[in-house]
Amino acid sequence: MDNKLLGLFVVFAPLSLLSFGGGQAIVADIQYQTVSVHGYLTNAQFADLFAVSRAAPGPSTLIAALIGYQVAGFWGAIVACLGIYVPSSLLVYGIASWWQKHKTSPIKIAVERGLAPVAVGLIFAGALAVVRAALANEPNNIIVALELVTLAICCSIFYFSKIGSYTVVFATGGIFFLIHLLAF
Amino acid sequence: MAEEIEQKPADRPDGARGSAFDVLMSFLKVGGSAFGGSTQAMVFREVVDRRQWMNEEQFIIGQAIAQVLPGANPVNLALYMGLKVAGGLGAAAAVFGMVIPAFCIIMAMGFAYQEFSSLPVTSFVLHGVAAAGVGATVSQGLKTTRKLPKRASTFIVGAVVFVTIGLLRWPMIPVVLVAVPVSIAWAYLDARRAA
Repeated sequence: MDNKLLGLFVVFAPLSLLSFGGGQAIVADIQYQTVSVHGYLTNAQFADLFAVSRAAPGPSTLIAALIGYQVAGFWGAIVACLGIYVPSSLLVYGIASWWQKHKTSPIKIAVERGLAPVAVGLIFAGALAVVRAALANEPNNIIVALELVTLAICCSIFYFSKIGSYTVVFATGGIFFLIHLLAF
Repeated sequence: MAEEIEQKPADRPDGARGSAFDVLMSFLKVGGSAFGGSTQAMVFREVVDRRQWMNEEQFIIGQAIAQVLPGANPVNLALYMGLKVAGGLGAAAAVFGMVIPAFCIIMAMGFAYQEFSSLPVTSFVLHGVAAAGVGATVSQGLKTTRKLPKRASTFIVGAVVFVTIGLLRWPMIPVVLVAVPVSIAWAYLDARRAA
């Protein structure tokens, strides 16, 4: 088997079982594995692919498909997707079947309560990893400030309003396009 | 054609069975039209409102399981719903329907990125989109934090995970493999002490 295909599977399959709360939880480690450990991508490429994955519909774990495509073409995308979806799906399949046969128990409640704070810590760590990657090689302080202000504004919009995330993401892209036309 | 399904048997205490093909059609539609955070609402609308495959309570149990377990929430949610409606084949059909449309769209976008990534405007626009994406993530983290039980264990575990992985950049897998059992045991002991 092609080394890169095997490498992609080895990167994504364990992360599949650790993606508590969805793709956000493993963004930090995807960045670490693909940029720092394997050198498949540069920090800038990773930040760009993250942005593409947020602009697209569907689960945010589809960033695996983008990275796989970037690293090893179409089959890279397929292998990365199988790696990221098959292990967690088999686990969910087994537990969902079990769940329907058993009543609530103290252990089940403890599992839910125990997983939640870990997921929250991972969500914030993922946000920090993307900020780091996006700003890693950005020499222009005005752009850094613009991005941090955008982050704060978008976070407030998401927190306080019901406006769809897709609307906000695309409006932000449009505004940045206009800023680029006018200012650069 | 959507209206044909509206004839609804009013009471189905244990939900209803459907064919794997119906499941596939429903989830292809949801997978192709659910953007951003709207996925769960779209699945709810299809599975509970239109198809009447299950009631609200049954849906919420599935949603909780999809969120608690590892994996992409929309994929886990589809799998749980498909399994309940049409067994193993239904689970496979639901996951396939949820992933394929989004996969095709994101591949087209990835291809476009490779073609246009050399333009300065592409990178600039994507910087903005990334900032918005991080904003959504932070907001999600804040909302989830707000709903957590107000116990010391919750905040200590959350903070330790964030500091070790986010700030100190320790690799995630060993941290999580330690944090999860500790956190579950702590929650279990907390509950026993309270009882």
